[in-house]
Amino acid sequence: MSFDNGFLLSRRGFLAGACCTAAPILTPVSFAAMPGDNRFVTIILRGAMDGLDFVQPYGDPAYAALRPKLGLRPDTGLIDLDGFFGLNPAASALMPLWQAGELSFVHAVSTPYRDQRSHFDGQDMLETGGTGKGERTGWLNRTLAVIPRSNSRKAIDINTSMELILSGPNEADSWSSQSNFALAEDEITFLDRLYAGDPAFAKALEEAKKTDMSADSLYADSRRGAGITDMARLAGGMLREDYRIASFSINGWDTHVGQQGQFRKAAGDLSTAIVTLKDALGEDAWKKTVVLAMTEFGRTARENGTNGTDHGTGGLAVLAGGAIPGGKVLGKWPGLSEDKLLDRRDLMPTGDVREVAAAMLYRQFGIEPGNLTTKVFPGLSFDTSSVYLRG
Amino acid sequence: MALPNSTLAAIRYGYGLRPGEEPPRDVEALLGQIEEGASEKPRFPREGLSGRLDTATRVISLLAAEAKARRAGNPNEDVRKATQSEARRIYRQDAMARLAQAIHSPLGFYERLASFWVDHFSTSVMKSLPMRMIVPLYEAQAIRPNIGGSFTKLLSDAILHPAMLIYLDQDQSVGPDSIAARRNGRGLNENLGRELLELHTLGAGSGYTQDDVRAAALILTGLSVDNRAMQVVYQPRFAEAGPISLLGRTYQDDEGDSQDHVLMLEDLAANPKTAQHICGKLVRHFIADIAPEDMVGAMVAAWTKSHGNLTEVYRAMLDHPRAWSDPGQKIKQPFEFVVSGFRALDLPEKNFANLLRDMDDGDDDESPVQKAMDMTGMVARQDTKKKAGRANALTLGALQRMGQPIWQPPSPAGFPDEQSVWLTPSQLSERISWSRTVARIFGQKVEPSAFLQAALADAAHAETSRIIAQAPNKVHGITMVLASPEFNRR
Repeated sequence: MSFDNGFLLSRRGFLAGACCTAAPILTPVSFAAMPGDNRFVTIILRGAMDGLDFVQPYGDPAYAALRPKLGLRPDTGLIDLDGFFGLNPAASALMPLWQAGELSFVHAVSTPYRDQRSHFDGQDMLETGGTGKGERTGWLNRTLAVIPRSNSRKAIDINTSMELILSGPNEADSWSSQSNFALAEDEITFLDRLYAGDPAFAKALEEAKKTDMSADSLYADSRRGAGITDMARLAGGMLREDYRIASFSINGWDTHVGQQGQFRKAAGDLSTAIVTLKDALGEDAWKKTVVLAMTEFGRTARENGTNGTDHGTGGLAVLAGGAIPGGKVLGKWPGLSEDKLLDRRDLMPTGDVREVAAAMLYRQFGIEPGNLTTKVFPGLSFDTSSVYLRG
Repeated sequence: MALPNSTLAAIRYGYGLRPGEEPPRDVEALLGQIEEGASEKPRFPREGLSGRLDTATRVISLLAAEAKARRAGNPNEDVRKATQSEARRIYRQDAMARLAQAIHSPLGFYERLASFWVDHFSTSVMKSLPMRMIVPLYEAQAIRPNIGGSFTKLLSDAILHPAMLIYLDQDQSVGPDSIAARRNGRGLNENLGRELLELHTLGAGSGYTQDDVRAAALILTGLSVDNRAMQVVYQPRFAEAGPISLLGRTYQDDEGDSQDHVLMLEDLAANPKTAQHICGKLVRHFIADIAPEDMVGAMVAAWTKSHGNLTEVYRAMLDHPRAWSDPGQKIKQPFEFVVSGFRALDLPEKNFANLLRDMDDGDDDESPVQKAMDMTGMVARQDTKKKAGRANALTLGALQRMGQPIWQPPSPAGFPDEQSVWLTPSQLSERISWSRTVARIFGQKVEPSAFLQAALADAAHAETSRIIAQAPNKVHGITMVLASPEFNRR
């Protein structure tokens, strides 16, 4: 192994372990101060998060009728945010951030993706930045090329291989925490469906779930939690040192059936990820950080016949960090009465989630709006008067 | 005759579909693979046949010298350790080469038959340290060239190989009245004699007795292994003198260069019970746990007519209508599952080779140079270890966890072959876990529906296609293709 290679790996290896063990050794070069201290993290919520469950518009007169089983009120456990919206108690770990002005939500946003409701296409559009199906580079990768003085900034994808959002011609690293990832609840539900027509497989899966004899405790929630924590800790550790952009994913949001339990786990994962990021970054770096959690599309306004929700359109983005305008539910609320719904079924999108991302990139890295609307998100309408830059 | 379903040909008789590889068109195409495969040099042993013989004999003499020094009170730990790690590395390289052979070869039927026969004539690398090097040599020398020819030739090449004689203790066996027994009190070991009748030829419960087992063992005496040259030798001092009768024939052991064991192998190969046993086993492997009797009957007839020509036996199987109906009765064994997964993913050869490189890099290297590397080297080492662990988890480690490590059968009977063994909760969990890992590493940019088409073509059920298309994320879509019943059945 060449010296150069060993050196590079050593820095990563150190960062990976930095959170948990005493720093073994480091050379001054590998931690030279980098110009620019601001950080940006994206979390992709795969499977389509139900934004109406995460931040519930309990003040909307139509809400209770649309969500007789899933809907909560402050007197049934919902955590009130502003008298109109309330936070799902599964995300209660985030409340200290809300109170400190380090957490906001943007409701009724979406990508330009419409009507097809395919997770794959929806996620592709979310990651490529909505430039059509043929695009194979991610917007976060293209961002790297337009950040002023970006040559020494580093970006990292926390995964075993590069996800689409950071794929492209510009240099970015991918790295994974060591832990195995457990299956998310929605993924297990899909396996149940996959095996429904083959009794021998269905029986084996049922027993595997019951006896938890799986290879890496595939189905154990404690392991799953540990996986999310490791991943967020790794991202935080990297960002505290010389990386400035990080991205990772949280699965488990495709809640067609039995949403309550599945959503509780997924929302818990997201909360754990954000709180862990804050801890791992440390106070100073957290002040300069924006975390943007986004999903491919929202879910139906009405709950379905199996205590779940189906693929919809308008969704929710989550903003966290010391560098955001905090303590707000942003976005233009379209209302939930039937005539206000898209196709009488989905929350009407009133904002483009790409504009939220563009605003945060502008805020963090001073990227020219002209570059944001041509190179990062071609065709996006964005300027410095954006509503997401106020406050 | 055109196959009703070339997809079935690839899945039932090969290691599954691979993008860009034309599935076998008809029975002749399948049978044509055999001659082609038998004439090819396999990817293992890595140094080739004579090169491997050199390696094995060198390691064996090193071990012998060290053992001698140890007895004299001068043990040399370094030699012992270095030899062990060399044998471990050689095994790993060969085992990865066996995986690569199955993944990359377009001759799927030939490769499946090679696995069938190496399992039928099981030997294990776990028997001893030298066997780590000899078992791969055995498959290349004794099994692979003989897959399409006469069963008699396959049988005698397999039995009369050092690997088999060592594995079943023939090298320890001497006739009770032989010179060797009289001199040093050694005795008969019936291991090979028993397995020869029970597993390799007539089959358990086919009517032979304990006396027959003993007779076969007596006839085999004299066969041994020259460890220095790693060759089978005939030692008259070990041989039991005749006459010995077995199944109605009397074998007379001549002094000197006795061929009685060769005659016995020919007789056993020609025994109708052997044909019945092996045809039934082939059908249970390729078609269904409960073998359709008329298919077995057609194969036995072909066996008899051709005097045990295996290609004619396979032809009789493939010409039978049942060969092309009722798919999915068998569960892929772990080796088949992992190989077909890599094939479906169309992993380039270079990427697969990198996995072996990662594993080799992860070997403990305590050389002074390594230690003297600047301190950053230590952390780099952790990363190297991590990569090695990942490569192992994708390949040899996965097979270990799924219960089918390469060249390590649980007994001389080989690996089990029934659904009840390979479709269990823990097995399914392991397969889902492996699927998820490869999906995350190699499948990030793959479109699940396209992958389903590549992996299963028209073997995928409509409902499976629908579910895959709706998967909550791509990685889980890829995972489900690999974990689907259709992909795990054949």
